[in-house]
Amino acid sequence: MVRWIKRLAALGNGILIFALFYHGHTEVALFGGFLNLIWVLDEKLPHWVRGLFRSSALGTNTVLSAYAALTGLSLGLALLIAGNSLLVWNAGLFLKRWGNAPRVVQYQYLRRVGTLIAFGLLAGLLALALQGHFTLLFLPILLLMLSTGILWLRIISQALKNRKPG
Amino acid sequence: MTRAWSLVTSLSLILVLSGLLLKNGVLLALALPYLLFSLIPFWRSMEVPQLVIERRLQPQYLWGGQPGRMTLFIRNVGNDLEEVSIADLLPAGLQVDGDFTYHGALRAGQTETCSSTVRGVRGKYEFSGARVLVSDLLGMCQSEKFVPSSMTLAVLPALERLEKLKIFPRRTRVYTGTIRSRESGAGVEFFGTRAYVSGDPLRHLNWKAGARWDLLITNLFEQERVADIGIILDARSAVEVRAGKESLFEHSVRAAASLAEYFLRAGNRVGLLVYGRMIEWTFPGYGKSQRARILAALAQAKLGEHAVFRELEHLPTRLFPSESQIVLVSPLLHDDVSMLRYLRALGYHILVISPDPISFEKPFLPQDGWTALAERIARLKRETTLTQLRRARINVVEWNLSMPLHISITQTMAGLKRWSAG
Repeated sequence: MVRWIKRLAALGNGILIFALFYHGHTEVALFGGFLNLIWVLDEKLPHWVRGLFRSSALGTNTVLSAYAALTGLSLGLALLIAGNSLLVWNAGLFLKRWGNAPRVVQYQYLRRVGTLIAFGLLAGLLALALQGHFTLLFLPILLLMLSTGILWLRIISQALKNRKPG
Repeated sequence: MTRAWSLVTSLSLILVLSGLLLKNGVLLALALPYLLFSLIPFWRSMEVPQLVIERRLQPQYLWGGQPGRMTLFIRNVGNDLEEVSIADLLPAGLQVDGDFTYHGALRAGQTETCSSTVRGVRGKYEFSGARVLVSDLLGMCQSEKFVPSSMTLAVLPALERLEKLKIFPRRTRVYTGTIRSRESGAGVEFFGTRAYVSGDPLRHLNWKAGARWDLLITNLFEQERVADIGIILDARSAVEVRAGKESLFEHSVRAAASLAEYFLRAGNRVGLLVYGRMIEWTFPGYGKSQRARILAALAQAKLGEHAVFRELEHLPTRLFPSESQIVLVSPLLHDDVSMLRYLRALGYHILVISPDPISFEKPFLPQDGWTALAERIARLKRETTLTQLRRARINVVEWNLSMPLHISITQTMAGLKRWSAG
C-alpha cells in the first residue's frame, strides 16, 4: 500500500511540476517531470545509486518549488510539491527499511506521515495567508491557527518532557 | 538522528536562511513542512530498548562439520518498540545457513524467535550478543544498543571409533579393566602354572602338566585392570604441515580425540597434555565427564610456538604416573628421538601415533622428478627416526592419512613380529 501511494505521489508530483513550469519554463518542466517519473519506480535503480537519487530528487524538487514560489508561478502548488516530495522521499526510506511491513504498520506509518505533512502544509498555507498571499475567510484562518498552535504546543511540550536530565 | 534527518534539516535551514537573506516570507512558509520533519527527534525521543536475548543450541555441542539448530529468543521487557532491527554478532569462522536478524515491531512483553542452522570447524566460538537498532517509523531518529547474550559453542573434533589397541604399561591400577597387569589372579588370559594348593578351583587344574610331572598343577591367569594413560598432543608449529585448506594438526587432534574416547570407554584413567605454545594439561580422570573435559580441551587446542617448548625435552614427566602408558600423537621431528628414549628409560611405556606428513603433503605438490627425489629423502629421514624409536622398544604407528586410523593401527600391530610388551 505504501509503495503504491508513494508511486502515485511521485507521479502526481511529476504532473504538477510539468503543469507548473510548462508555460515559459519548458526545459525545467521536462526535467522535473522526467525526474519525478524516474522517482515513481526508483526501487528498480541499482542499490548503490538509489540512496543518492532519492536525496538528489528531494533537493531538486525543493529547489524547483522554491523557484516557483520566488517567480510567483503558484504559491499553493509550490507548497504542495514540497509536501508531496517529502512524502515520496520518506515513503521510499520506509520501504527501503521495511519493504514487507505488515498492513497494520503501513497504516500506522501512513497516518503518521500524513498527519505530519498535512500539518506542515496547513502551517505553510497559514503563513502565506498571514502574509497576504491568500485571502481567506476568518473561520478557516482561525481553524488553521488553532490546529497549528495545538501542534506546535504539543511538539514543544513533548520535547520538554523528553529532555534528558542534566 | 539519522542521515535522513540531516538532509531534511539542511533543506529546511537553507530555505529559512534564504528567506531571511532575501527577506522573502514565501520561502519561510515553504520551510515549514521541512521544519516539522526535522523536529521529530525532539518530539519523539527514542525508547531505550530493554530486551532480553537468550540463545539455545540443539544439540548442546557439535562435532566438526555437524549442523546444529540455534534459536534466539528475543523478549521485550520494556515499552513498545515500533521498529527494531536486531542483528546477532556471530563469532568469526562460524557458518550460518540463513541469518540471525529480526526486523519489526516489538510490543511490551512480546517474544520473538529466530533460528538458523550453524556449523563450524573444530574450535571454540564465543557469542557476545546482538546489536539492536531502534528507530521511529519515519526514520528520523534512531538509537543503537548492544544487548549481551553470551554463549560458548564448542565444536568438538570428529571421532573415529577404534577397536583392539593393545597397550602394556608396567603399572596398572587396582580396578578391573581390559589391560593385562602382569600379575596372576582372576582373568581369562593364561599366565603360568604352579603346584596345586588346597582351595584352588579344580576346574583350573592343568591335567597335561600334572601327568608329566606326576603332581597336581593348576593354571594361573593374568589379571586385567585399568591403567593410567597420558595422551600427549604435539601442538608445536614446527611439526605442522599445511596443504591447501588441510592441516596435519587437525588429523592429530582427531587421533587424540579418538584415542581418548577409546581408552576411556575401556575404563582407563586418561589425562591429556597439549604441548606447543604452552602446557595445557587436563588432569587424569575416568568416565564420561572426563571424556567431555578432554574433548573440550581438544576443541580449543591450537598450534603454537614457544622457545621453551620447541623440543620435547621440556615435557613435564611429573604429570604422568611412573611406569604408566604414554601415547604421543605427533608427526615427529628427528630431534624428538632422544627425549622419547629418555622417557622409555624412565619406565614409561610409549606408543607413538604419527600422522605421516609426507603422504599428506604429496598430493598437493607438482608430480615431477624433484618432488619424487624430495619425497625419497624425506622418507629415508623419517624411516631412520622411526627405526630408532622401534629399536628403543617404542611402539610406533605410522598413520597414512589416506586410510582410517584404526586400519593403520591394526596393520601395524599385525605387521610387527612382536608388539613390544615393554
